[in-house]
Amino acid sequence: MSLGVLDRPLLVVVGSGGVGKTTLAAALGLTSAAEGTDTLVMTFDPSLRLKDALGVGDEALNQEVPVEVDTPGRLDVSLLDARRTFDQLVRQYAPSEAAAERIFRNRFYHHLAGNLAGILEYMAVERLFEVSRSGRYQRIILDTPPTRQALDFLGAPDRMVEFLESGPVRVAQRQWFDASGRLAVKPLKILGRSIESWLDRLVGLDLLRDMAEFFQAFGPLYDGFRERAGEVGTLLRAPGTHFLLVAGPGGERIPDALFFARRLREGGHHLGPIVVNQMHPELPVRIPAGGDLEEGLRLLAWLGSRDHRGFAELKSLLTARETVVGLPLLPTPPTDLAALDELGRLLLGTLAGARS
Amino acid sequence: MTQRARLPVHQGLLDRLASCRLVAVTGKGGVGKTTLAATLARLLAARGRRVLLVEVDPRENLHHLLDVPPSGGAVIKVDDWLWLENVQPVRVLEELVRQKVAVAALARKIVGTQVFRHFAEGAPGMKEMAVLGHAMQVVRGEAKPKVDLVVLDAPATGHGMSLLWAPLLVSEVLGKGPLGRLAGEVADLVRDPEQVAVVIGTTAEEMPVQEALELIAGLRERLGRPPELLVVNGLYPPFPEHAGRGPSGAKAALALWRQRREVNERELDRLSVEWRGPRVDLPLLALERGPALVTALGERLVKAVEPAEAR
Repeated sequence: MSLGVLDRPLLVVVGSGGVGKTTLAAALGLTSAAEGTDTLVMTFDPSLRLKDALGVGDEALNQEVPVEVDTPGRLDVSLLDARRTFDQLVRQYAPSEAAAERIFRNRFYHHLAGNLAGILEYMAVERLFEVSRSGRYQRIILDTPPTRQALDFLGAPDRMVEFLESGPVRVAQRQWFDASGRLAVKPLKILGRSIESWLDRLVGLDLLRDMAEFFQAFGPLYDGFRERAGEVGTLLRAPGTHFLLVAGPGGERIPDALFFARRLREGGHHLGPIVVNQMHPELPVRIPAGGDLEEGLRLLAWLGSRDHRGFAELKSLLTARETVVGLPLLPTPPTDLAALDELGRLLLGTLAGARS
Repeated sequence: MTQRARLPVHQGLLDRLASCRLVAVTGKGGVGKTTLAATLARLLAARGRRVLLVEVDPRENLHHLLDVPPSGGAVIKVDDWLWLENVQPVRVLEELVRQKVAVAALARKIVGTQVFRHFAEGAPGMKEMAVLGHAMQVVRGEAKPKVDLVVLDAPATGHGMSLLWAPLLVSEVLGKGPLGRLAGEVADLVRDPEQVAVVIGTTAEEMPVQEALELIAGLRERLGRPPELLVVNGLYPPFPEHAGRGPSGAKAALALWRQRREVNERELDRLSVEWRGPRVDLPLLALERGPALVTALGERLVKAVEPAEAR
């Protein structure tokens, strides 16, 4: 069995939180390696169970480590850590060791590196680009961050550039503060006062000083960032990059799936198959009245019909161009490599069936 | 496994929640957090408290759960005791700036600058702090509507930061400016268990339980307090110990039920070890997400926290 519609050098797995993205990414990785393709699975925060199943731990933070499995292709896993990636970038682009240290010591950076909105997303694509360019893998499967608007990472490179091009950086590249720590320039006057002095009243001079220092220190890194962000954007729209959209079961999740599909298409990305995951089975049996099982079976029958109704509705709302398949809710989440491979093969088999 | 110790009864828990000014409902995405927030808001309103339910998610799911039309940001009255507001964090932050800069035209200019926009979007914890700051002003009577308490459907936890300790981070970063002082006030409020109750929602599955436990640890470490209540949602019913084979054709479904229940019980056991405070377990119900589900969950929640003789 080949990977069929998923036979691409870069697969990005997207979807809302809690729909089983990470498990599916790992399962596909294993199946891909079993088919003889050197594969890397990049993920964010896999469960302990999944890490145990793959046999990897914290040593895989921001670096590729091999999964001990006897497959014709190699399978590596890396766990993304936004903070470490940011630190690595600073070291890489800073003109000198001293400049890098200056950034690391900055209080604003200290809080920013882990918490700035979109930083995790940006770091994910940044890291992806790095590994992709190294050419060490024939296929990379990227699990996406479990943010509320999980597609944020698509716009992350552009936003980072916009952020760096905007006021703070350009303003900060002037000498804001003189040797005594007082504001040296007062641009952008409003009602006779500078924006800085109004911001000072609002947020305090300390923070402004830290921000200014941070962006000044960041200045030399900026060109490298901008160039990189453009390349990352191109990679995410390349013909070899496909997005596997994972959705939860039931009618109430449909709007999320449609939203993702629309955003991907509008962004010029290649939308691969849509997988409705964790569906309860239909229960086409007469449930005997009375007995211990009645109530539970009625609930299961209701869940099965809810999930299949939702699936049919989602399908009717999409065009024929989109492949939509359902995957069953597994009795237990995969706890070993064999179960993961089985899940990967189940997905591929289902996709092959849907196309024929 | 079926002879599970009975959960302690948490008499007075709802009265305790009702006596707070702010009830923050939090947890991992996809665990029924929004439904839980709607359920709690209804229950507290039914106890004669005027409640504002605040939603931060732009998808506006709460309207559907409370059976009212979406408002696009305005406060809407659900009934005599319950109001609903969908807030956009950046707008709330801008409003806070307007309050601190008394001249309206000037405030508009400031919030219109790129420096401010990026500061609002980018400064860590700022938007989260603004949402809590807004809730604080409502319960203090400084912002409308006039209510007794706010139930906040907090954004899903996940990586980085919880809404609940964002104000602390902001006050550390901002120091003494007006916004920093506001953040400090909000942080003090959140630390005060007399005024603020934290309710964590989860399902009995590995990752949601993991996040719930991390949240509890984070609350203790950063704010020096535990949550008031942990609600476990969506439990499969106990599998009958001496069940027959069931009807033919139901074998796979029965296996799914039994094993999913085992996963639930394993995670409930893990929770029991790590969290000894108030916990309510709610079953998976054969109801679509909507007003009827809110009512049904509310009835079960009340039953779970109040013994029959006390009602």
